[in-house]
Amino acid sequence: MLDRHKPLWGKPPQLKKSYDAVIIGGGLHGLATAYFLARHHGMQNIAILEKRYIGFGGAGRNTAIVRANQRTQANVPLYKEALDLWPVLTKELDYNLMFFNCGNLNLLHSEAAVSAARMAIASAQFQGVESHLIDAKTCKEMMPALNIAEDITYPIFGAMYHPPGGIVRHDAVVWGLAKGAAKYGCHIHQQTEVTGINVENGKVVSVDTDRGTLNTPRVLLSAGGYSAAISYHMLGIKLPISVLNIQAMVTQPLKPILNHVISSGAYHAYANQTLKGEIATGAHMDAWPNYTTQTTAYYIRHQAQAITEMLPCLKGVKFMRHWSGLADMTPDMAPIMDGNNLIEGYFMNCGWGYFGFKSCTATGKYMAQFMATGECPDILKPFHLGRYAQHRLMGETAALVTYTADN
Amino acid sequence: MALTLTCPVCGKRNGYEFRYGGEDKGPKPDGFGLTPDAWCEYVHMNRCVAGIQKEWWCHKDGCGVWFTTHRDTLKNLEVEASS
Ligand SMILES: Cc1cc2nc3c(=O)[nH]c(=O)nc-3n(C[C@H](O)[C@H](O)[C@H](O)COP(=O)(O)OP(=O)(O)OC[C@H]3O[C@@H](n4cnc5c(N)ncnc54)[C@H](O)[C@@H]3O)c2cc1C
Ligand SMILES: [Zn+2]
Repeated sequence: MLDRHKPLWGKPPQLKKSYDAVIIGGGLHGLATAYFLARHHGMQNIAILEKRYIGFGGAGRNTAIVRANQRTQANVPLYKEALDLWPVLTKELDYNLMFFNCGNLNLLHSEAAVSAARMAIASAQFQGVESHLIDAKTCKEMMPALNIAEDITYPIFGAMYHPPGGIVRHDAVVWGLAKGAAKYGCHIHQQTEVTGINVENGKVVSVDTDRGTLNTPRVLLSAGGYSAAISYHMLGIKLPISVLNIQAMVTQPLKPILNHVISSGAYHAYANQTLKGEIATGAHMDAWPNYTTQTTAYYIRHQAQAITEMLPCLKGVKFMRHWSGLADMTPDMAPIMDGNNLIEGYFMNCGWGYFGFKSCTATGKYMAQFMATGECPDILKPFHLGRYAQHRLMGETAALVTYTADN
Repeated sequence: MALTLTCPVCGKRNGYEFRYGGEDKGPKPDGFGLTPDAWCEYVHMNRCVAGIQKEWWCHKDGCGVWFTTHRDTLKNLEVEASS
């Protein structure tokens, strides 16, 4: 019965000897960039190379939270456009991405957090992104399950409420973008690992894979958590990235009780209720690099404690699944998007940490423009690699390298 | 499997007692004539080795000592110094 259904992105294509562009990684950013290259720029001779299966990386592991209330002026417009693109892409791809704009409540647990939120809210409003400060009583009215008692570890002072955010089904995004890219002729090669990038006279000429060498004048590195290691091992280019594991888990399905995404930096936890009814919750990262994607019992206890203090009605509810994925963290919690800089024809889009789901639609669009025209679009310019040596870090986080929990 | 690390003072302890202090990048570069690129290289840039690397740790919730050790980032286990 199952074999009657071929994948949405068609049968596996033949691997060609040369492509106009090769994309390393069949994750969110790779698939989105290929889709926009083909659809907006008429470049259809493109290969997406994926060492496992599309969605194997962060694309299929994230907790699906989308929002646009970032902290800095350079970041907000990019995330705003990304958020606005979900309904557009749902139509364009003719595939239901299940965008549920239930709104996000970022809980504040001190006067200092309230002041910091005022600043973030002003930045968001200035950029036309809806964001408000609400008090604890209003939080309770909006979400009756929330515990606003004063005798808990971190009492709630209020929240930053961002109505247009919410959740999107992450698998649907992978499948929908793959369907769209394949429709315009892009080749998606799964089980194809990139093992080398060849450069001659300062220009990209080809890519080595475990299935042979492909000639190409353009390469995009979008291998998620594997990007920094690939960059150093294959090209000798070091990146300001630490690859940590971030864990998440879901409970058994429940009737609707969480009608917004909630997140709390102090409790180091966030939660949302999926459309299937499971409470998806995450945020813990072991603060040292590792590539295992192992889960830890330590974290199950942490998560149970944090979530049941905020939402006491969840006591006794069982966790069903628990997993981990790689997060490529930069010191300023902002990504690195660059190209045609160190090597002609070499583009990179990485360092997304745990923000790379909500942003993939807009970055795919602009990275495609960058690769097709060779000119960096203005909206991407602040994200260049050189900012670290210029000491122009972006301040998406209040302090340097604190891996905070507000997804 | 959870990480354990060997503190030179306290011995083998639970990894959650420690704070990671980054890849071992050798001695701090001399400030005299230091370029922004060289400083950036030392402060921010990483090799992100998928395998064994030498790295800094602090026994934060213990005796407080800083030390270097080797760990396999593919297994998340402390290992003997690589040859
Ligand atoms: C538990 C968890 C929760 C998260 N929650 C959120 C959230 O709520 N909201 C949000 O915005 N973000 C979230 N994220 C972050 C988000 O998932 C990532 O930032 C995003 O997936 C990055 O997309 P990408 O396309 O760069 O990489 P990925 O989606 O990781 O794709 C990279 C792909 O490259 C492939 N690859 C690697 N090496 C090679 C090679 N040598 N050759 C060929 N292919 C290769 C991998 O197999 C992988 O499929 C979360 C991440 C995790 C792990
Ligand atoms: Zn010690």
